Parts: sequence; C-alpha cells; structure tokens
Amino acid sequence: MPRLERIEYKPISVRELFLEVKNLSELMIDLAYSAALFNDKGLAEDVLELENHVDTLTYLLEMEIMMAARDARDAEALAGVSKVASAADKISDAAADIAVIVTENIGVHPIVREGFEKVEERLTRAEINEDSVFVDRQKGELDLAARMGVNIIAIRRKKNWIINPKDTELIKSRDVLIARGAPSGIEEFRKFVEGKLQKLED
Amino acid sequence: MTRKHWKKFKEIVERFVELKDTSELMIDLAYSSLLLNSKELAEDVQKLEEHVDKLHTDFEMLVLSCGFKPKESRAFLGLIRLGVVTEQIADAAAEIAEVVLRGIKPHPVLKLVIEEAEETVTYVQVAKNSSLVNKTLREARIPEETGMWILAVRRGGKYVRPKPNIKIDVSDVLIASGYAKGEEDLKKLAYP
Repeated sequence: MPRLERIEYKPISVRELFLEVKNLSELMIDLAYSAALFNDKGLAEDVLELENHVDTLTYLLEMEIMMAARDARDAEALAGVSKVASAADKISDAAADIAVIVTENIGVHPIVREGFEKVEERLTRAEINEDSVFVDRQKGELDLAARMGVNIIAIRRKKNWIINPKDTELIKSRDVLIARGAPSGIEEFRKFVEGKLQKLED
Repeated sequence: MTRKHWKKFKEIVERFVELKDTSELMIDLAYSSLLLNSKELAEDVQKLEEHVDKLHTDFEMLVLSCGFKPKESRAFLGLIRLGVVTEQIADAAAEIAEVVLRGIKPHPVLKLVIEEAEETVTYVQVAKNSSLVNKTLREARIPEETGMWILAVRRGGKYVRPKPNIKIDVSDVLIASGYAKGEEDLKKLAYP
C-alpha cells in the first residue's frame, strides 16, 4: 500500500490543477503501455507514483471547484469541469492498471511487442549522456519535430517530472527524456541522446 | 508456436492495436469536442465507444479461444488486462463527451486548459491541388514535414485509422495534433 499524501487545502488555480491532471493522465497512458510492452519495471513504478499524485491533485481540484461556485450558474458550469476531471482521473487509474501488469510480474506476451513495433509510433525513454549535443541546449532550439519527427513529451529530472516541456526548457546531463516518434526518428534521437551522433544537420 | 497459432496470434495483436488506437483517438476527440463545443464530434465519440465495446468482446473471445498452454496463461492474462484498460479509457472519453451532449456550456477553464496544453487538434481538408493527394500516409511524411501527428482521417462520415499505407484522397479531412507552428505548415500542404 503506497503512502497516501495528506490532503490539505492549498490555493492553486483550478486551471493549473486541471491542466496538470489532464497532462499527467495522458502521459501516464503512454508510459504505461511502454512499460508493459518493454516489461520495464522502473517505468511502471513511475506510473504508479504519478497515479498517487493525480489522486491528490483531483482532491485539491474538487476543493477548488467547490470554493469557486458562488451561485447556481457557477455550479452548472463547474459541474462539467468536475466531470471532466474525474474522467481524467479514471484515465490515470487505467494507466496504473497497466503498470500493475508489470509490477506484479504478469507480463504481456513478447510477441505483442513485435506486432506493435511494426505499426506504432514508438515511445522511448533515454538518459542524456554528458557527451550528448543536447546538453545545455533549449528544447525548442533542437527542433526535433522538424529534424527527425520526434517530440519530447516529458523530462524526468531526478524525482521531478516536467510534462510537455516548453521550448525554452534547458536539457541537462542525466535528464531522462521521454519522446515519441516514428521508429527511424527514434533511433536517430537515441543516438544523439547517447552522444553517438554529434552533428545536428540543418 | 505452430503456423496456425501464429496466424491467430497476429490477429490478436492487430485487434489489440485497434482497441488501443481507438481508445486514444477517443480521448483526443473528446477533448476537442469540449474545446469546439461540438455535439457532432461528441456524438462520434459516443458511437466509437459502442464500437470499442464490440471490439473488446471480439478481442476477449479471440484471446480465450487461441489455445494457449497453461504455462503461457500469465502472459495471456496480461493481454486480457490490457484489453480491459482500453475499454476503461474509452468509457472515460465517452464521459468527457457527455458533458458536451448534456448541453453544459463549457466552463471557460476547460477551453483555456485545452488550448494551453501546447498541443492542439486541427482539422484540414485536402484540396484537389494538394501534393498529398494519392500519396500514402507513409509517403506523405507529414510528421517529418510539419511536426503534426495524424490522429485520424475523416472520409465521408467515417473515421479511418491513420495506418501508414492508407492513401490520401481529395476532400479527406485530416485530424492532426501538434504545435501551433506545425498547424500552419500542415494547412499549406493540404490546401496550397
């Protein structure tokens, strides 16, 4: 049983909370499928940890919604926000269910992965080598989407997650990047991250 | 694994990929329906939810009847669980779409959030003179050229999954997500 975070009202805007719940839930789905297909326990544990966090955020969000409703009209409009937030929370629960397949050693038949790799955009998780040309560059400056059809969807920096990093985000040595793209682009991307490819062509 | 088993297995994987793709497409479409306050799109999400229910049953039947050995049962349990999850995701997407169908006017917060999430969803219709016409999605290299990901292709009233080998036709609507910059590039490709 994971330790549950204590819930205490904090004044954070509904918008910020909701944005985080939405982004996290979507990221978690990607991470969870990846964890299941590549039987990656570390990634599966990340997902479970994030799920715990989303639960806490959902509580805080509900509190903010209650505080924000002043009259019947507010309540009507905010009921929609609450409903959508609870759907996002369900999505994060679903992701956690996928992660449990890995952490409980149930596993997915390896042939599924082979089938998958042929049809799917791939998601990859790669740690920035200190020799990588990406180190100390801004994400936007690398322009990976145009160069190789790859998007960085999250950065794990020690214990912290940066979801949908901004173009101005600096990439640091030892960051774990989570990226998505077509298989050929992903391969190229990994070589850059590992420092095996050095020259970014224009 | 025998040849017969192999064939069945390939079918299972294909079915699962379809479930996964559809459920994820539904999330994107559900959020878009909120953003655009589009009942049409929300109804499509509801229809897709029914479709997923059917796919899911077929998938489970297929897995259960594939004749796996007792020692493989854990790995197949994993597959069954994955199927259950896709269905849960589809349900969540349907709940999001339901907010639109109930006529609850989207709270400004919802719109703000969906627009602020850097990725946006865009619809572009392919014009007659577009270089995309008659190319397969693979040949069109849309992600490489624009940084936009094709979520679905709307052809007539139907949503077609964006498999690499499908051919782009005149007046197909490409539904794509990505960054604002890519959106402009995609529009230039689709209707120059």
